[in-house]
This record gives sequence, structure tokens and C-alpha cells, in this order.
Amino acid sequence: MEHTSFDTLIIGLGNPLRGDDGVGVRAVQMLAEQTLPASVEVIDGGTRGLDIINLMTGRRRVILIDAADVGRPPGQFARFTVDEARFLGSDQHFSVHTAGLRDALLLAQALDMLPSEVIIFGVQPVHLEWDNALSAKVEATLPNLVEAVLAEAAISIGVNTSLWHTTNNENKDER
Amino acid sequence: MTKVDVNVNVHHLTRVEGHGNIVVDVKNGELVRCELQIVEAPRFFEAMLRGRPYMEASHITSRICGICATGHATASLRATETALGVEISEQTELLRKLLFHGETLDSHILHVYMLVAPDFLGVGSVLPLAASHPEVVKRALRMKKLAGDLCALVSGRHTHPIAMTVGGFTHLPTVKELLAMKERLVAARKDLDETIALLKTLPWPQFERETEYVSLKKEDEYAYIDGVIATTDGFTYSLPDYRKVTNETLVPHSTAKHCKHNRESYMVGALARFNNNYRQLHPKAKAVAEEFGMQPIVTNTFLNSAAQAIEIVHCVEDSIQLIDQLAGRGIEEEPLYQFQGKGGEGVGSCDVPRGILFHNYVIDDDGLIEEANCIIPTGQNYANMEADMRALVPQILDQPQEKITHMMEMLIRAYDPCISCSTHFLEVEFIGN
Repeated sequence: MEHTSFDTLIIGLGNPLRGDDGVGVRAVQMLAEQTLPASVEVIDGGTRGLDIINLMTGRRRVILIDAADVGRPPGQFARFTVDEARFLGSDQHFSVHTAGLRDALLLAQALDMLPSEVIIFGVQPVHLEWDNALSAKVEATLPNLVEAVLAEAAISIGVNTSLWHTTNNENKDER
Repeated sequence: MTKVDVNVNVHHLTRVEGHGNIVVDVKNGELVRCELQIVEAPRFFEAMLRGRPYMEASHITSRICGICATGHATASLRATETALGVEISEQTELLRKLLFHGETLDSHILHVYMLVAPDFLGVGSVLPLAASHPEVVKRALRMKKLAGDLCALVSGRHTHPIAMTVGGFTHLPTVKELLAMKERLVAARKDLDETIALLKTLPWPQFERETEYVSLKKEDEYAYIDGVIATTDGFTYSLPDYRKVTNETLVPHSTAKHCKHNRESYMVGALARFNNNYRQLHPKAKAVAEEFGMQPIVTNTFLNSAAQAIEIVHCVEDSIQLIDQLAGRGIEEEPLYQFQGKGGEGVGSCDVPRGILFHNYVIDDDGLIEEANCIIPTGQNYANMEADMRALVPQILDQPQEKITHMMEMLIRAYDPCISCSTHFLEVEFIGN
């Protein structure tokens, strides 16, 4: 309710204590250090699952960043829209405790509560075990991921990727 | 039927860790195997805290569980504060209770509406429920938003309680903001009434099994934070003695430890709190218990979800009272704790939505954590879940296997287990690729 003045919302999802599941949170932490236009808000969505629906309410455009099995080599990411993806898994076992992006998006869709534009950046994880660090491959892809999200948000603030230790050019071709 | 072999593969678990099976094996009408494994305890809990400064512990541990971020943070802070001899002010105590109610509401609403209601209404999941009863699901989301906003108001952020720190808060809500929240809580009573009306229509399964119920207890309030450990078998322990209750032991079929106290198992959670602390419930919550026909000691595990609904009413009503109390005394900036160069050991405990939670830290004289231990509620419920399954299966053996499976799933879900609650992972298949 209090966020409706922001046109675009970027939400990073995941648990930083579960290895690469923390990639979305790490990405929004990096995004939060950038100077963002007043119309863009960045939120660390953690693992609150269905709360994503309430967070998205009233936004025109939402960009989500999450660990996902997007059929890419570990460490690489894919950009897609809700319409482009078919979410796997049995609805019979819909669970709120692990309710992630899939469940939230399906429920929002069923209730006709999806924003007009929902873009997802899914990062293929290497591991999701208890660990408070990202894998080297996912860590290496972060700068490109952040750059891609910024480009998506049409933020022309010139991200200096040379400041980051590694770049992963493979991803640029994937998009 | 001479053999029933139910192997329930809960997809969101298997895709994360390869666990999450219920195995029931009946030969010649006799139960030969009945096992369960759902939750993996945070194995590296101690490793992730050892050597870290004491003030980081609550922020790190709040990430263990996406649903119980405040619960872990509060138990963590109480362990740290006890270890360091930090006294907290009345204002801090009131604000923590208010925040805790917000999280309990959020969690219970999720469970009751998104898991229990679809189960009982026979629609399988909340997705078909959204199609057939959109107003019910929208009400749940509306109530969740209120709970989330209450948390954000007190803790500074929607997802993580960043404003909570050792000895107090780094950010305080204003009285005006609190009173605006009170208005919304008062207005939510209509949604509460409809929630209770919905739950009253659900056909709760008949299943009685006596067990021991363990929760926090205080004389003058329905305890969620601090107090003593009480059991329905008449035992009472102070928090530092928590290991006398949990008695963790290894079992062959599971990597998770089992807990037991006076019997083969015990249960924690809303039903345990209800059974131990009925007297301290808000009168309106007691009235709901009466409507449900519930008087302690309730021994039907399925009614844990009904106990959660009773607590939803309690938490809303008590939040209104807490805000009145805070508004009456005013909100003041308070000096934050400064480390005194002396460590110690402390146990912190909260009764989080799924039951009693323990954090135990040893902090050295440099303010660094030397040792840490954490016992989560669902881990304590394992043995009781299996005991329930062993009792329930023989009663329903004449049913089709599908029905047995469904009943077992409902039974386990009634515990509201924190099924590897910290990871969510998206599987996507691309169309036309």
C-alpha cells in the first residue's frame, strides 16, 4: 500500500544461508548500492513466499530474481516472463512453508492479481545446502546478472563492471 | 488388504534435499514400519555462529526460517541478553511482544487458509480454492498483509526484523503509527469472525491419542517469549534446563534427532500452548475455543489448526491491548546496550508458531560466540508425529490407499511442520524451446 508510488519493483528472493539460494538477496544488496531512479524500488524478499503477492500489488512492473532450475549450466541465468514459462510441480503439494516464486505467481494468476509486467531472472544454482556463501560459479555471474536487471529496469546509470572481479560473458549470449 | 505401502513423495522436499518421505508398511494387518523424515535441522548452526560477534547472531539466525524470522531473532536475542546480563526495558518487551504477534498471525493465517482449509474442503490446494472461493483466499491475503505490515512497523522491514537488536530497538514506531495500526486491527475483527465461521464448518477428523504437551508458561500471560518450560504431565523446568526436556537422541532411519521427555514422545505448537495456557488466553479467544468445543486437555492432533485459529483471535486482541499500553506510556528513544567486556552463557526461548524454540550461546570476553546450539520445534515433534501415525494407521486400514495417504498427509500437515522452511527453488520448463 505504501509502495504504490514506485512504478517498478525489483524483488530478490532466497535464503543466504542456503548456498546459491541466496543469489537473489545478494543481487538486490548490490542493486541497493546503486543510485536508482525514484520510480524503482528494490526489496529483499527473503523466503516469505506468498508475501510476494502483497508486495507486487499496485505495481505496474515487477522484476524478480531467484534461484531457479532454468535448464542452464550451473551459474548461468535466464530472463523470462510469466507467460513464457510453465511452472513445474504438483499443485497437490502446494506448500506455504516452501512456497516460493512458483506458488506465489500461480496464486496471483488465479486471483487475477498479477501486475501487467512480471519479469523473472532465474539463476541456475550449483548447490542449495546449508552454507552462507554462494558457489564460485554463481558468485561469478552476479555482476552480469545485476547489469542485466538494471538494463531491464531501464536504468541508464552506467554500471562499471570492471570493478567486479569476474565477468561471465556466456550469459550475454543466452538472453 | 494385507499390505499397505504408502510412499508419499512431497515434491518440494525431494527437489531440495531428497527427503520428505512417509513410509507406512503394513503386513497381515500389522504395522511393521512407519517412518517419517521431513525437516533437516540447520546443521551448520554452530559453525555459522562460532567466532562471530554477539550482535550479529540475531541477524544471521533470523534467516534460518522465512516464516519465523522474528521468532529466531527473538530467541537469539534472549540467549545473548541472558549470557551478557542485559536487562531490557518495558518498552522493548512490549514492542517485542507486538512484533511476535504479527509473525504468529502471519504464520497461522498462512497455515489455516492455504493448507488446512483446502485439505478439508477437498480441493487439494489453494489454487483450486482461489478459483472456487476467491473471496476466501483474498481474505487470507488481506489478513496476511495486515500481519506483515504490523511486523514491518515494529521491526523496520517487511522480511527481516532488522530493527531488533541486543537490549532494544534501533528504530522505533511512533505512537501515531501504532494507533493507525490499532484501527486496522480493530477493523480486522470482521475477517476474524469469518475465519472462525469458516473453520467451524470443517469436518475435523476424530482421532484421540494422549501425549505430553510442552510449551512455555507464565502465570500472568499467554506465554510466547520467556517464562518456564511446562508440560501437561506436570513438569516445570527453568530455561537453562531445556536439555532435560528435549533429550535429543539419534534414531536409525533418520538423520534428524528425536526428542522425548516423560513418554515416548511429546508435542509442541499451538495445541501444546492451548493445553498448558488456556487460562491465560484472551476472553474472546476462549469464546472461540468454546465455539469449537475445545477444553484442555485436547488430545486430537488435527485440532492443532483449530488452536492456531484460537491464537489468531488472541494475537489480534492482545495486539490491540499492547498498542493501547504503548500509546498510554509513550514511545521513547532509549540508550542501546554497550558491551561490558564480560561474556557468559545464556539460553533464550520463544514459543514460535510451530512450538517452543531454544537458542543457547556461550559468548567469550571479547564478545565473540564460542558455542551455539539451537533446537527447533518441528525437530521436537518428529517422535510424536510417528507415534500419531502408528496410532492412526490401524484405525483407517479399511480405507482405500489413496484415502490413507491423504489422512497421513493431513496429520503431518496439522503439525504445521517447518518443512525445510528456508529454501524455495523454482523449477521452470520453457514452452516451445
